[in-house]
Amino acid sequence: MQLKQLIRIATKSLIVNRSRSFLTALGVIIGVAAVILLVSVGSGLKDYITGQMQDMGSNLIMVVPGDIDIEQTGASGGAASGAFSSIAASKLELRDAEEIERSLPQIKDTAAVVMAPGLASYKSETVSGQIIGTTQNYINIRSSEFETGSFFTQSEVNSGRKVTILGHTVAHELFGNQNPVGEKIKVGDYRYLVMGVMKEQGGQGSLTSDDKIFVPITTAQRQFGLDNISIIFTQVSSSDEVASAVPLIEAVMLKRHDEEDFTVIDQKEILSTVSSILDTLTIALGGIAAISLLVGGIGIMNIMLVSVTERTREIGLRKALGATPEVILTQFLIEAVFLSVGGGIIGILLGSGGALLLNNFIPMTVTAWSIILAFVVSAGVGIIFGIAPARRASLLSPIAALRYE
Amino acid sequence: MTKTKNILRLETVSKIYRMDGVSVKALDNVSLAIMEGEFVSIIGPSGSGKSTLMHIVGCLDTPTSGKVLLDDQEISQMTERQLAQVRNKKIGFVFQQFNLLPRTSALDNVSLPLLYNGTTSSQIAKKAAEVLGKVGLGERLDHHPNQLSGGQQQRVAIARALITDPSIIIADEPTGNLDSKSGVEVMEIFKKLHQQGRTVILVTHDDNIANKAQRIIRLKDGKVIN
Ligand SMILES: Nc1ncnc2c1ncn2[C@@H]1O[C@H](COP(=O)(O)OP(=O)(O)OP(=O)(O)O)[C@@H](O)[C@H]1O
Ligand SMILES: [Mg+2]
Repeated sequence: MQLKQLIRIATKSLIVNRSRSFLTALGVIIGVAAVILLVSVGSGLKDYITGQMQDMGSNLIMVVPGDIDIEQTGASGGAASGAFSSIAASKLELRDAEEIERSLPQIKDTAAVVMAPGLASYKSETVSGQIIGTTQNYINIRSSEFETGSFFTQSEVNSGRKVTILGHTVAHELFGNQNPVGEKIKVGDYRYLVMGVMKEQGGQGSLTSDDKIFVPITTAQRQFGLDNISIIFTQVSSSDEVASAVPLIEAVMLKRHDEEDFTVIDQKEILSTVSSILDTLTIALGGIAAISLLVGGIGIMNIMLVSVTERTREIGLRKALGATPEVILTQFLIEAVFLSVGGGIIGILLGSGGALLLNNFIPMTVTAWSIILAFVVSAGVGIIFGIAPARRASLLSPIAALRYE
Repeated sequence: MTKTKNILRLETVSKIYRMDGVSVKALDNVSLAIMEGEFVSIIGPSGSGKSTLMHIVGCLDTPTSGKVLLDDQEISQMTERQLAQVRNKKIGFVFQQFNLLPRTSALDNVSLPLLYNGTTSSQIAKKAAEVLGKVGLGERLDHHPNQLSGGQQQRVAIARALITDPSIIIADEPTGNLDSKSGVEVMEIFKKLHQQGRTVILVTHDDNIANKAQRIIRLKDGKVIN
């Protein structure tokens, strides 16, 4: 008895009962599609956030106020809000940034940042945004591109000129299609000359430049009383230097500060913390969806058991005509595996198709491992949940089955 | 063909069904011999054990005691697996209720036994069409059972029994579910099979049908009475 022949028998009997076959597979279809969709949401989120963080610039080391444990920050929101409250009490100074750059030759650039929410207005339009006071090097460190104009220079920082660079959203809400460069907008109580507009970056929060209003740090400290430095960005030339630079920066900072009222973090560390959180999230989402796959498998077993009873006469007949118990067992196992694998394939198509479609609205990444996993699990489900009905079928006695009404 | 060889021999075969403490002796010390090429009918009242006898002769069941020799092979001690192979090779079974697979074409129904003996697909299709032609259904290969009359369905079932070229055709009341005209047609086929040299064992209630055979074995209460 060749396997090929058995596969043909199983396929025929699935096709003959096509609507029952489809309904049986439906549980697996839904389960697999759910696994793929939810895993896509998780990994899409991860790709999105890590992408955004990489957009910040590469080989970054940041000095932030307060003594924060980065691992803990990752693990709980409470520690993160602690980090924010420490900005208000920040003991970081502009001089710290200058000292780091002066005493460590491997540091390419540094930029200190102060920030506060604020309003910008032009003629009758007013928008709210985030005022960022920083130095000219900021633009070297954060890889942002310009739509028009350019960033301010050292001389503008040194003299505390009232100039500003606008994020994409701010510029477009104030000016519409008009070119803002050369115009004056009002930020706080004073007028600022617009020098440039950033390209649209997308995303939200502190990572995007879209809602930012950049001014020289000296101006910001004078006009808005922003003395507390929120963060100092420093950049080394290659990723190999990051690890060795971190303790050196710490040493420079400790010399200037009596106690450890700051934290030096490198970008990679944040990235790995964030990705490990999102990996956990992805696995949790996938796990929840996998339960529905399990339910789908139980559905297959249930319907296959009913179908064995329903097909008692057929089984008896096949045995009467020469099918051995092993052949019947194999036939029913193949049917179960085909149902679950077929359902798995349809579910993979639906899940990945759906993910690609939803990608227009939320970030979704279809991962190869979720597809492979879904496929393997659905095949396994078919075998495991197919065994009980297949065994029952193979043990039927031909006469009892033929007499069955 | 020598007509002296016994194709089937039963020696003191008994079959006892036990259920819920009650035991029914369906066959009681039956001994008989059937020669190769013989046309035998088995007749007896309802409950006399005809079907039980056919199931044992057809290797669908094993006796409680006694010996069954098919082609000089002792079958009562065989495993399920071996019995399945004997059924496939040597026995062609025709049932009263046709037992065709629903929603399955005549061709595929007739093909069934060949699926279990390693015949290649192209040969299966060829042979199935050939035997359907022999029972006069050469034009009905793609018809499903519900598109065929009772007589035609039974002819499909006969074609299925013939496809493996078995040594014995066993028919348990093959005309029981047919009107008299279809019954006559089906009996003509059995007569022809016998003339071609096959061994035919036929169970019936009906004396007219039984009389078409060379020999009649009468059963009563599980015993042979002639
Ligand atoms: N699986 C079984 N379990 C218990 N008793 C059975 C079983 N099969 C048959 N019998 C009993 O064995 C006896 C013989 O039954 P069998 O079916 O062989 O009769 P039969 O001669 O074929 O009758 P009919 O002409 O009605 O088909 C009956 O009394 C029946 O009730
Ligand atoms: Mg009977």
